[in-house]
Amino acid sequence: MKVTLNWLKNYVDFDWSPEELKERLTLLGLEVEGMGKIGGDFEGVVVAQVITCEKHPNADKLTVCRVNDGQGERQIVCGAKNFQAGDKVPLALPGCTLAGPAGSPPFTIKVGKIRGVDSYGMMCSPKELGLAEDASGLMLLPADARVGQGFAAFLGRAGNDVVYDLEVTPNRPDLNSVIGIAREISALTGNPLKLPGITLPAGAGRVQEAVGVRIEDEEACPRYTARLIRGVKVGPSPDWLKQSLEKVGLRSISNVVDVTNYVMLECGQPLHAFDYHLLQPQAAQALPTIVIRRAGEGEKFTTLDNQERQLTSQMLVIADECRAIALAGVMGGQNSEINEKTVDVLLESAAFKPQSIRATSKKLELRSDASYRFERGSDIGICDWASQRAAQLILETAGGQLAEGVVDAFPRPPQSKEITLRFARTDQLLGVAIPAAEQAGYLRKLELAVVREEASSVTVRVPTWRVDLKREADLIEEVGRLYGVDKIPSTAPKCSAGANEFDAVHDQYAEVRRLLAGLGLDETQGQTLLPETGARLTGKDLVCLQNPLSSDMNVLRPSLLPGLLDALQRNLNRKNGDLALFELGRVFLPGAHGPREGRRLALALTGSRSPLFWTGTEREARLDLHDLKGLIEEFFEQIGIRGVNYVRRAEPTSLYLESAEIQLGKYLLGELGWLQPALARKLDLRDSGLLAELDLDLLLARRNPEKSFKALPAFPSIRRDVAMLVPEEVTHDAVLKLVKQARLQSLETVSLFDVFRGQNVPAGQKSLAYAFIYRHAERTLTDQEVNEAHNRLVEQFKQQLHATVRE
Amino acid sequence: MATFLEQVETIRQAALAELGQAADLAALEQARVNHLGVNGQFTSLMKQLGALPKEEKPAAGKLINQAKVELEKILGEKRADLELKASLPKEPTDFTLPGRRRTLGKLHPLTQVTEDIVRSFRKLGFVVADGPEIEDEYHCFDALNTPADHPARDSQDTFYLAAPAPAPNAAPGTPKRQLLRTHTSSVQIRVMKKQAPPVRIIVPGRVYRRDNADATHNPTFHQIEGLYVDRNVTVGDLKGTVDFVFRELLGADVKLRFRPHYFSYTEPSYEIDFTSPLVRKMGKDWLEIAGCGMVHPQVFENVGYDPEVWTGWAFGFGIERIAMIRYGINDIRLFYENDVRFLKQF
Repeated sequence: MKVTLNWLKNYVDFDWSPEELKERLTLLGLEVEGMGKIGGDFEGVVVAQVITCEKHPNADKLTVCRVNDGQGERQIVCGAKNFQAGDKVPLALPGCTLAGPAGSPPFTIKVGKIRGVDSYGMMCSPKELGLAEDASGLMLLPADARVGQGFAAFLGRAGNDVVYDLEVTPNRPDLNSVIGIAREISALTGNPLKLPGITLPAGAGRVQEAVGVRIEDEEACPRYTARLIRGVKVGPSPDWLKQSLEKVGLRSISNVVDVTNYVMLECGQPLHAFDYHLLQPQAAQALPTIVIRRAGEGEKFTTLDNQERQLTSQMLVIADECRAIALAGVMGGQNSEINEKTVDVLLESAAFKPQSIRATSKKLELRSDASYRFERGSDIGICDWASQRAAQLILETAGGQLAEGVVDAFPRPPQSKEITLRFARTDQLLGVAIPAAEQAGYLRKLELAVVREEASSVTVRVPTWRVDLKREADLIEEVGRLYGVDKIPSTAPKCSAGANEFDAVHDQYAEVRRLLAGLGLDETQGQTLLPETGARLTGKDLVCLQNPLSSDMNVLRPSLLPGLLDALQRNLNRKNGDLALFELGRVFLPGAHGPREGRRLALALTGSRSPLFWTGTEREARLDLHDLKGLIEEFFEQIGIRGVNYVRRAEPTSLYLESAEIQLGKYLLGELGWLQPALARKLDLRDSGLLAELDLDLLLARRNPEKSFKALPAFPSIRRDVAMLVPEEVTHDAVLKLVKQARLQSLETVSLFDVFRGQNVPAGQKSLAYAFIYRHAERTLTDQEVNEAHNRLVEQFKQQLHATVRE
Repeated sequence: MATFLEQVETIRQAALAELGQAADLAALEQARVNHLGVNGQFTSLMKQLGALPKEEKPAAGKLINQAKVELEKILGEKRADLELKASLPKEPTDFTLPGRRRTLGKLHPLTQVTEDIVRSFRKLGFVVADGPEIEDEYHCFDALNTPADHPARDSQDTFYLAAPAPAPNAAPGTPKRQLLRTHTSSVQIRVMKKQAPPVRIIVPGRVYRRDNADATHNPTFHQIEGLYVDRNVTVGDLKGTVDFVFRELLGADVKLRFRPHYFSYTEPSYEIDFTSPLVRKMGKDWLEIAGCGMVHPQVFENVGYDPEVWTGWAFGFGIERIAMIRYGINDIRLFYENDVRFLKQF
């Protein structure tokens, strides 16, 4: 909603500066989104004429001029070259502030010395005035420009005013009008609201004899008024009317149409004017009748903007007996619009059901100032006042003669609503004691009629324009607004412990994140919405959007991996080649009872294992699967997950070249593997990609974070190493299983320290080297004891794994 | 002429000196050969032992052995020292060379900001609550007093799921379209329906709006919601808590302003603007940062709380916005691009 300072001042007195008004409106809940001065830009700039022009004594590029500003002569030092004595130019006088070119701060002209010569003002280029980019020289004005005239007036710009662009919240349709805003100012200042007085001439010929009104859908159109003005002369609007509209961004069309728009802006009630003679009566002699009805399904109608539109039976139209003549509350029709030949004007002022207008406007994708207001809720009580006001202004600006009276179809005037405010309740909710009289006073100032006032409460009648006031809390808000929320004292936070089971889970997520960051991984946040093609890579079923923004974002992520791949690609495209990333987030999967949400943890690695360094054989090392697995193992240990199995998948998947399931007993905890090279290539990876994803919900449910102290070993350990050749298919896990089966009491740990293929290892075989640490808790082991146990183990390797043990 | 015992002592002293002076392993080995080797001085002393009178032999033998043991020990220590020294670089160390770095991973800036917000609220006794991101119209709109034809429900503005599956406990006849929650306020409803007052929760989480991505919009973003319900909760409490949290988050020099506004689920409702030297440096007087208000009595009625007994406030704000203000980030999309050069900065 745009409104100007001067327009507001027509209805209420206040002496705030423009900035103060902005502040006041904002604190009332009318946020000022923009504020601009109109016509005041060139305050202090006049049309001047150069009389003489001489070289500056101390500077080659400057001239010293004598200039007539209309009041007298003054000396100006100037750097421009494109003028001579006799030229007329804009002159900025000392004290004047120029906005300057866009993007630079305003500057103020001062009296000063330039290279030792006094200068009393500045002659301006178009750029300095913010009029054009041209800064090559002074702006030269036509010879007939009047010396001394204000520059704004010379340009034909209107006088000073300030336009405000206000954000009106949807609950306050009454503020989409100048009077509505003035009423708020009146409530705040206590100065009375001054509504324009209306005195209409008696009129000639009863309007009822010229037009009938029939409402067929009273729910969608609870009120319809019609007035008739005969013999108008349609033409351009007077300047005041034109400027009022143009200042707030409306185009002037003609006096009659401008009046309807002016009154709409003034009081919030949209109006429409028809050319009375374009109404088609049922029969030649019959009374023309306005019918408010639903459109026929598929009915075609051409709106004022020259678009033919196909209507549905849900849409409300204004019609004559033969055809639709307007789309109710949205836009008029071409077949009945005011034109230069119009002599008799039928003026509509009506109320429509907001939902109906909104549905129509949305369906047709047609928005207008009228539909904007109707769909938020118009003031049913103001229809006739607005009609009278418009009739008066049409008579003033377009002449003509009013038909007597009004056709006012208002089948069921709504009951006025009463609400009671308990003063104590206000204090209780706002946290400040506001005296009862003051509370009631605020409501009165807002023109809420007091029906009953008691010691502890007040009951008010809600005026028709305040559609937002429904219950006590709404009145408390009004009291709070006028009292001023800034005056409500802040109270120190009250502390007591809340409770919610998720609180602990939140900390677990934080712990997971900290561990992974500690392991050197950077956290990412991927998009929840993915392209279906990318999400399909995971091989999972998808939850789809019904109304996606685009096919790039049409499904919910079933996994965090597509998002991490996206992060890899973006980084690699930007030459960030070494990446260790993780994300913790939600995924969405279809389920029997609707979509399921779960939390996942995903990891992705590629590139160099360690940061750039200047020596050492390891510095070229690339990340491989064992780096990923090492991270996962360390993470599991720290978070309290034990007994995990890694089971290699026999076949590649669409995502992985080679991968394994991470199993925890009978549960599938996650997966890890090498990214498919074809995918890696598409993502511009230069090194192999490594991915893993874990089911975080399961992981946190199955973790055992309990820690207990074990006594440190008091007796020495004995180490025995085994190096053996085994067939390629023997896994490390198979070795460990065998060790476990042997149930050696004194075996403390077993660690793999070498895997080797190549020289001296037959094809199809590999060499594995293990270190076994033996220790007894209560005494020192003897060599013999250890040898016995160890030899049994070695024997098992030979028999069960077909191992050749290197002695 | 020196006695044999004196000779032993002289040789011992010489050996100690030679071991002590050995500057490297080769010199040390030479000293060992000279004194303790097969042809070393102690070996020859041992050979001379046989020529001594019988009564002198035990004392002399003992002395030689003691000296040998002592020298062997010193030799061992000296060897270990020299070996360690030999393993170090011979050139002088350039202490200005870059070190071999171990990099710590970084938490996403949104995580860091969220944790800071959570920490502030927890000081006041708030706990973290959570709810589903796939919501229904009841929790996201109806229960929050959003009018049935409110534009926020439009498929222009809200993402709806395809092929809605009926929720298992849906009341008959109420169509519950599934959607992606547009605000974390839906969790207010879930928590209040589940637990009796008092309530003190904060809810950080992802929310979704059907906006095309640009510098200030992303269809996915994060909000944090605070809800406090108890007896005698006032606007003054709301102001006090908001003051506390924003001073913690944005510094003690911030100033807040409450501005009346409209939300369907609070009454009165306010928007909160803040200003600080940073805001003024950006050329603005105030920056809008959060919405808040006293829980609407209709919302209390919807969840079965008696609005005559309980009052409460709620407020919510965008986490991205706080992070952008705090770090001076100018494009919301950076949070979701995950460029490591961005992530490493926080």
